[in-house]
Amino acid sequence: MITKSYIMPRSEILELQSRRLRSLVRNVYEGSPFYRKRLDDAGITPEDIRSKDDLRRIPFTTKSDLRDNYPLGMLSTPKSNLVRLHASSGTTGNPTVVAYTLRDIDNWAELNARCLEIAGATSADVVQVAYGYGLFTGGLGLHYGAEKLGAKVIPASTGSTKRQIKLMKDLGTTVICCTPSYGLFLAESAREEGLDPKEDLRLRIGVFGAEPWSEMTRKLLEEELVESAHDIYGMSELNGPGVAMECRAKKGLHIWEDHYIVEIIDPTTGEVLPPGEKGEMAVTTIMKEGMPLLRYRTRDMTILNEEVCECGLSHARIMRIIGRTDDMLKIRGICVFPSQIEEILASMENVTPHYQLVINRDGPMDKLMVRVEISEDFKTDRLTDIVDLQRRLENQLRDTLSINASVELLEPKTIPRSEGKAQRIVDMRKI
Amino acid sequence: MIKQFSVFLENSPGRLANLMGILEKNGIKVLAMGIAEAGNYGIVRMIVDNDEKAFDMMRKENMSVNQAEVLIIELERLANAVKTLSVVGVNIDYAYTMDCGRAVIKVNNEEKAIKALSEAGLKVYPTKC
Ligand SMILES: [Zn+2]
Repeated sequence: MITKSYIMPRSEILELQSRRLRSLVRNVYEGSPFYRKRLDDAGITPEDIRSKDDLRRIPFTTKSDLRDNYPLGMLSTPKSNLVRLHASSGTTGNPTVVAYTLRDIDNWAELNARCLEIAGATSADVVQVAYGYGLFTGGLGLHYGAEKLGAKVIPASTGSTKRQIKLMKDLGTTVICCTPSYGLFLAESAREEGLDPKEDLRLRIGVFGAEPWSEMTRKLLEEELVESAHDIYGMSELNGPGVAMECRAKKGLHIWEDHYIVEIIDPTTGEVLPPGEKGEMAVTTIMKEGMPLLRYRTRDMTILNEEVCECGLSHARIMRIIGRTDDMLKIRGICVFPSQIEEILASMENVTPHYQLVINRDGPMDKLMVRVEISEDFKTDRLTDIVDLQRRLENQLRDTLSINASVELLEPKTIPRSEGKAQRIVDMRKI
Repeated sequence: MIKQFSVFLENSPGRLANLMGILEKNGIKVLAMGIAEAGNYGIVRMIVDNDEKAFDMMRKENMSVNQAEVLIIELERLANAVKTLSVVGVNIDYAYTMDCGRAVIKVNNEEKAIKALSEAGLKVYPTKC
C-alpha cells in the first residue's frame, strides 16, 4: 500500500534532501570506484558535502560516463545485491545499463503509485499499461506503481491495438498509460471500429509520457479519449517513469524531491541558475542504492518552480520539457528549440509539420529562416491568403521564440524525408 | 460555370517548367494562364482543356492545387464589362486573358455579375474557347 508520507512541508523535504545527500555521498564513495575517483580527483571528501548547497562542488555525471563504464562500472553496491538490470538501446555504441536493488524497485513502485494518485487514481481503478514491457522501463514502472496503489493492472504492453480496445471495453479500464501519440492512435482506431471512445469507454485518466507533447495534444486527448490527460516524466537512468508527474492542477510536473535533487544549470557553462530560469535539469538520485547518480545531466531543458502548488503539494514542479540540449540552437544568444517550432506548426492550419531551419549570419546578426511546406489541402486561389499565412506564422514565431524569424513557404513534399534532424537544421554560420 | 486551377509554386527557376512539363506529358492543353507572385512563392492560375484529368494528375504529383469558379467574357468589350460590373458594385479580384479573344475574370459575386453582364448585352461564355 502507498503511504501518504510524501505529503510534507517544504522545510521537511529540504531537510530530508540534505540528510539523504550526505548519506548518498558516503555510500558512493565507499561503494563505487568510479565515484571515489571522481571525488578524489575533484579534491572532495564525503565530509565536505554537508547540505544541498555543497552539491555544486561535485562534478557532473553524463551519459558518456555511463557508456564509458559499460556495462556495470557505475555500481555503488556489490553485484550480488542487484535484482534487476534494464538497458536502453543506444543508437550508437553501447546501450545504457541501469541496475536496481530490491529497495530500488520498491521505491520505484512507490513513486509511480504517487504519480497515479496525484492524477486522481485510486485503488478502485483499472489501469491498462500500454507502455512496452521488457528492457524499456516504461511498462514495468507503471505496472508496479498501479499495483502498489492497490489498483487492478492490465499489463497490455504495446501493440495489438484492436485487443487493447477490446480489453478497455470489456474489463472497464479507467486509467490508460501510454505515449501520447499512441493515445491518439487508440482514439482513432476505436472510432474506426464504430466506437465513440468518450462514450463507450470509461477512461478517466490518461498517463502520457516517454515523448514530448503539447497543450494542443492534451486538448485532443481530452476531447477524443480521456477525461483528464497527465504528463509523466522519467528516464531509465533515474529509475524509469515516475520521476515527475502532473497533478490535477496541471501547472507543471511535481518532481519527487525526497528522492531526487534537481538543479537547473546553464547547459553551456554548467553554472547553477536561479529559480525560474530556463536551463538543463541535473538530477541527483538521493535514494538509489544500485546505481545512484550524482548531478546527472538529463539533457532536458525545463524551468523549476518551487512554489507550493494549488493541489497542496510542496514538491517542486518542473515545466513540461521544453527541448533537449542536443537540439538546442543559440541564435542571437537566445535558446531556440526545434520543438517550439514544431508546436507552432502543429497548431496552425494549412502548413505541414515538415520544416527546415536555416541559420545564417548577416554581418554581426544571426538570421533564422523557417522553411515550411504548405499543406496539399490548402485551398486558395488568392495570393493574399498565402501572404497572410506567412505573416501569421512569422508573428507566432516572434511571440514564442522572442526573436524575429522569416518564413519561406514551400510546395508540399519538397523537404527530404526520413533523414533525421541533421537535415532539419542547416547552420550556415561561420564561427 | 468554368473551373480554374490555381497551384502554389515556389518562385524559383524550373518550378513552372516542371508544372508545364507534367501537363504536356499528360496531353493537357493550357488555354489561359496568369501568375501572381509574392517573395519566394507565387500562384499560377490556369484554364485547361481537361479539368478532371488535370486535377487527378496534379494531386498525384503532391501539388497544392485548388479549383475556383471564374467567368469568361469577351476581350474586345472588356472596358464595357468592367464598367458594367463596377456600376452594380461587383469587384474583380483578378483577371487574365485567353488567346482566343476572351478574358478570365474572378469576381466576388458571380450571380450578380452574370445578371448585370447579360442585361448589358455582354457575353458570358459557357465554354472555355
Ligand atoms: Zn500540484
